[in-house]
Order: sequence, then C-alpha cells, then structure tokens
Amino acid sequence: MSKAKRVQPQEIHAAPYPAGKVLDAQLHLLDRQVLDVDGVPVTTVDDIELSGPEPNEKIPKGAPAPQITALLTGPVLGTRIFGGRPPSSRLIRIPWKSVAGVDTVVTLGVRADSLDASWVERWLRTHVIARIPGGSHEPE
Amino acid sequence: MNLNDILGSDVVDGDGQRLGEVSDVRFALDAGAGQLLSQGRFVGIVVSPRTASSFLGYERQELSQPWPLAQLLRWWHRGSFLVLWEDIAVLGSREVGLRPGFTAYDARLTR
Repeated sequence: MSKAKRVQPQEIHAAPYPAGKVLDAQLHLLDRQVLDVDGVPVTTVDDIELSGPEPNEKIPKGAPAPQITALLTGPVLGTRIFGGRPPSSRLIRIPWKSVAGVDTVVTLGVRADSLDASWVERWLRTHVIARIPGGSHEPE
Repeated sequence: MNLNDILGSDVVDGDGQRLGEVSDVRFALDAGAGQLLSQGRFVGIVVSPRTASSFLGYERQELSQPWPLAQLLRWWHRGSFLVLWEDIAVLGSREVGLRPGFTAYDARLTR
C-alpha cells in the first residue's frame, strides 16, 4: 500500500450542512439493532443497499445522488471472522420505506412478522417451540 | 450497489494518486417526506488518510471523554475529509476515483 498524498489543512473547506438529519453509515446505521413497531428486536443492520451506479461504473457529471433503498441483514458472522462477503442473494432486505426512525436503535414502522428478516424465528416457533409441551400457548 | 462494496476502498484523485481510504459514507434525510422517514440521500464519503476504520467517530464529533481515548482516536484519524457526491467519478469495490480539482470539506458532523 503506497503512502497517501496528504491533503493540507488549508485545502479543507467548511462543509455545506444539509437541511435534514445527517447520518454517517458506520456511526449511525451499520451494526445498529433493528426493532419493529412494537419494540420487538428483529435483527441488526449488516449492510445498506443503494440505488444508483453499479460498482466501477463511471458516474456522469450531474448524476443524481444515490439513495438508501434498503437495510440488509444476513449471515455475516463467518465472513467477518474469515474475510470476504456473503453473496448479495443471501442478504435479506428491509425496505427503507419501512424505517420509521434512526436513533440508538433503528425503529421500523411495521411488525416483525411481516418481514423476511424474521423467518428463522418464525420457523423455530412453528417447528420447534410449538412441539414442546406447553409451547403453543402463553405462560400462565 | 451495496455500501460494503465501497467502505474501505482506496481513494485516488484525478491523477491516480492515493489519498486514503473510505472510512465512512454520509447520508442526509433531506428529501421530500416519505411514508415514515425521508429518503436517505448520499451526501459524500469520508476519506481517512490512515485507516479505513471508523471507530466511534471521535474525529467528527465534539466528544472529549475519556480524554486519552479521544486524543488518541482524533490523532489517528487526523487529516480526514469529506468529498461530496458531485466530486466522485467512480465508486469501485477496490478504488474510488475523484474528479480532477475535487474539493475537500471538513468531515465534522457538528456545525
């Protein structure tokens, strides 16, 4: 890795500040817990899907800025430890239009049951928990 | 395109000279109202000359506690700057190219 060319402090200008809330992906979105509208934990944010140019595609001048289309979640533990990334097809999308708020947690405006992201939990509930005696009703 | 495609990529200027790595990507919720939350618009990338990590963001906020940690992390990320979307020529998984004569902006989150 070659040494980076230094951008001198006097070349750094004051940034224009957007009118709305400003989010830095690593600080405010990635790895945050996702709660559904009832406060039930759904998953964590592993990646973010953007509209706009494909990787390595030249961006024409004046092209509109990409937007967040979905939060992605999936089996990333192995790839975080051993490197690489899971293929996009293995990641589950939570559409951005379902996101209601971004704070210390990401809050959704929909129920977890309506999302693909909670399928493992639903599958375990139906096929494992419900078969345990007393597992198909609430505790008394 | 996914965000992890560009996080950690090398950033090169118009002459192909390396400036650092993409340590973060900034979004703004300033588009028209959506159903629940406004659309997240890509504002730009935060370029760090030394490291692609973005640990706690001390260099972008006014946090000063715990003092030794704040000093260390601010020093580690010194020289970080923000490049707006308009100055990005190509977003690649290995390399992010900037347009010739790009403008470097202060990466701090507070005004």
